[in-house]
Amino acid sequence: MSKIYLKAMEEVVQRNMENTNRIMEQAQGYVVSENVTDTLLHTSFDLTTAQGIVKHMHASFLRLAQSGVRDIDPEDSLCFLRVRTRKFEFLVAPEQYFTVTAVL
Amino acid sequence: MSAEIEEILKRYQSYPNVAGIIILDPFAIPIKTTMDYTLTVHYAAVVHTLAAKAAKMVSSLDANNELMTIRLRTKQHEVVIVPSESYIIIVVQKPGE
Repeated sequence: MSKIYLKAMEEVVQRNMENTNRIMEQAQGYVVSENVTDTLLHTSFDLTTAQGIVKHMHASFLRLAQSGVRDIDPEDSLCFLRVRTRKFEFLVAPEQYFTVTAVL
Repeated sequence: MSAEIEEILKRYQSYPNVAGIIILDPFAIPIKTTMDYTLTVHYAAVVHTLAAKAAKMVSSLDANNELMTIRLRTKQHEVVIVPSESYIIIVVQKPGE
């Protein structure tokens, strides 16, 4: 993990410690991936599941959602994405350098 | 039954934060909308692709799972998408601060 991304991640984590703890109590796990290359950075799941989430959710669906939002209004941009499924819910938060997904 | 639907739509439309409600048929054609037509068609096109992609993604991550709703929180709106077999409902909200 490059130092820039590690530092950026630490900063965001510190700022949102309270929220993070509140969510992580209910969450099944999390996945963090890097935006530019879509590589897996950090996860609490096993590698296969995490890679699957990064590949399907971060790399393809999140990009589609972001471009759709900008398509409708060029000045708008996606802040947060929630995909609710029958079994659980994906909370996807794209940041500047990385993307965090919590699985609830 | 149609009168019921109209009533429900009107009730939700009158909430202060709701900017618009669109109901699409399975081919992404708006059958009911409270927003102006150009914007509706624009939303229909974007949301239809998104909902289809999401459904495929969810079933590829876990074959027994299925998609229930999608919430897109952008800087200025929140878009709630509820896909179903015979329709797609889109609600655009202005989140109050």
